[in-house]
Amino acid sequence: MFLTRRPQNPSKTPKSAGFRNPQNPFKKMGKLPPSLRTGKNIVLPLRSLSKDVRSSSPQEPEESQSQSSFHHGRKPPKSNTKNPPTSTTPRRPSPPPITFPSSDISAAKTLVTSLTKYSPFLNNRFCNAVLESFSSVSSNIQDSIFLLNHITKVHPSFTPDKSSYHILLSQSCTKPDPDLSNVNRALTLMASKGFQPDKVTTDIAIRTLCSSGHEEDAIELIKKLSQVQFTKPDTYTYNFMVKRLIKIRTLSSVSSFIDEMKKKFGVKPDLVTYTILIDHVCNGKNLHEAMRLLDVLEEEGFKPDCYLYNTIMKGYCMLSHGGEALKVYRKMIEDKIEPDLITYNTLIYGLSRSGKVKEAKRFLKEMVKMGHFPDVVTYTSLMNGLCREGNALGALELLGEMEDKGCSANECTYNTLLHGLCKGKELDKGVELYGVMKKDGMKLESGSYGTFLRALCRSGRVAEAYEVFDYALESKSLSDVAAYSTLEDTLKWLKKAKEQGLAV
Amino acid sequence: MLPQRMKKAVTDNPKKLATLIDLVNLPSTFKDFVGRSQSSRLGCFKHVWSYIKDNKLQDPNNKNIVHCDKQLKKILLGKTQVELAELPMLIKLHFPKVQK
Repeated sequence: MFLTRRPQNPSKTPKSAGFRNPQNPFKKMGKLPPSLRTGKNIVLPLRSLSKDVRSSSPQEPEESQSQSSFHHGRKPPKSNTKNPPTSTTPRRPSPPPITFPSSDISAAKTLVTSLTKYSPFLNNRFCNAVLESFSSVSSNIQDSIFLLNHITKVHPSFTPDKSSYHILLSQSCTKPDPDLSNVNRALTLMASKGFQPDKVTTDIAIRTLCSSGHEEDAIELIKKLSQVQFTKPDTYTYNFMVKRLIKIRTLSSVSSFIDEMKKKFGVKPDLVTYTILIDHVCNGKNLHEAMRLLDVLEEEGFKPDCYLYNTIMKGYCMLSHGGEALKVYRKMIEDKIEPDLITYNTLIYGLSRSGKVKEAKRFLKEMVKMGHFPDVVTYTSLMNGLCREGNALGALELLGEMEDKGCSANECTYNTLLHGLCKGKELDKGVELYGVMKKDGMKLESGSYGTFLRALCRSGRVAEAYEVFDYALESKSLSDVAAYSTLEDTLKWLKKAKEQGLAV
Repeated sequence: MLPQRMKKAVTDNPKKLATLIDLVNLPSTFKDFVGRSQSSRLGCFKHVWSYIKDNKLQDPNNKNIVHCDKQLKKILLGKTQVELAELPMLIKLHFPKVQK
């Protein structure tokens, strides 16, 4: 629900996946339930026209069909001419999906020629799909150009459109030549056919280059394209690029890239760009740099928004500086920026983590006052805080309260509780909880698994520990190695503890 | 949290990981038991543990204790009765440190 908040800004969307981090105390170890995970799956949506290119490929085959099986398609049009279509069949069956078994151009040409009998159904979209299908197996762009020409020749109704050239472009971008000659070739060809490359072209080229791991080439290309007004990257393309770069390069080199783009080509960073940078340094726990960047962006005339504040708050929370997070929250209120659910979840997580459970509970009430309803993340953070305090039973009570309010617990909640109960010497309750988890097929996280094993062994319930080990393997909670080495280490520890008279 | 650190220690330590999953030539006693000439320490442990479960060798009153049958005795130092807790250590005995 947080993701739809700003639909007009796609490059922001994936970022909120980063915000999710602070609310989920166990994210690193565990899995979010699908309902929470959705954010991650929203990959940068390809925009308008570029979508057009992709959407012409649904015909791209799921199963590889050879040429012969292709004739046994669901609805061979041949029989269609003999028997009039029955009422149950669609009026205009589309030709079956086409796959090319090899990158052999002459075979591909033959296949395309054999399609002429479908000609009533061959529209541009289908021809583009054929082209895209071939370009995915073809090894060089020359072949794809040949095929495009061939399709145009045998199917006069087909006129290559912008999408056709974008397909060629994206093929060249997945395997660019060292000097980008094939990419340039696609661009020149496109222009010579009367389709001026535009921002969408830039977007496709940059995204394809980046996703195929050719960031260096992408930098070169983006600089070249930025020289022309039409192909200047827009903010989405640019921020996508920055987001990629920051992952593989140092902050200083990305900063100099941003600088160069600004000074040489007038492509300016915006709030999103800065948020990407700040998010990165916050994840690296470099709050000092984050503060510096915050100053820079204010100098540039941007006002931090809710996202940015959340990001900074997350940074403090990861360092367990609940107090600082609270300061950020106050500043937010001062600046009249309305906090959202993420803000509260982050704050409650941070406070719980730094042992300020009382304050965290206070915010639970405050958030309701502000019209945000605590969700499973909120409660789990709070339970985590209670468990840290050693009040595992309090956390268990909270589970009841949460479920009364119609908010159902997830794996992470249960793992938090299991961990807390075992630490808080409430093993029997822990075993009971484990029973529920097992019944529902929930996975164990490595943290709670280890604590649980230890607690069981300490009370002399080694056999049960072995059963938990079995369950961890069976439910694929952990890798065999991790599960076993934890078991082995626990038993080793047990032996020592026994010698010192610490365990039964 | 400690367990996390423990897990990290294993994955960070390739040597320790290797002793767990590397295939080694088994001593003859183990060879007969596992039915293969090569196995990893982890594989052996899993084999022994499932053997115990399949043959119901755990003491019904105290599941922490395993009554060894003839086969198991051979590989577990001839003991008639072992504790589950010592099982990994006993198996480890068959995997001496490789001298480089």
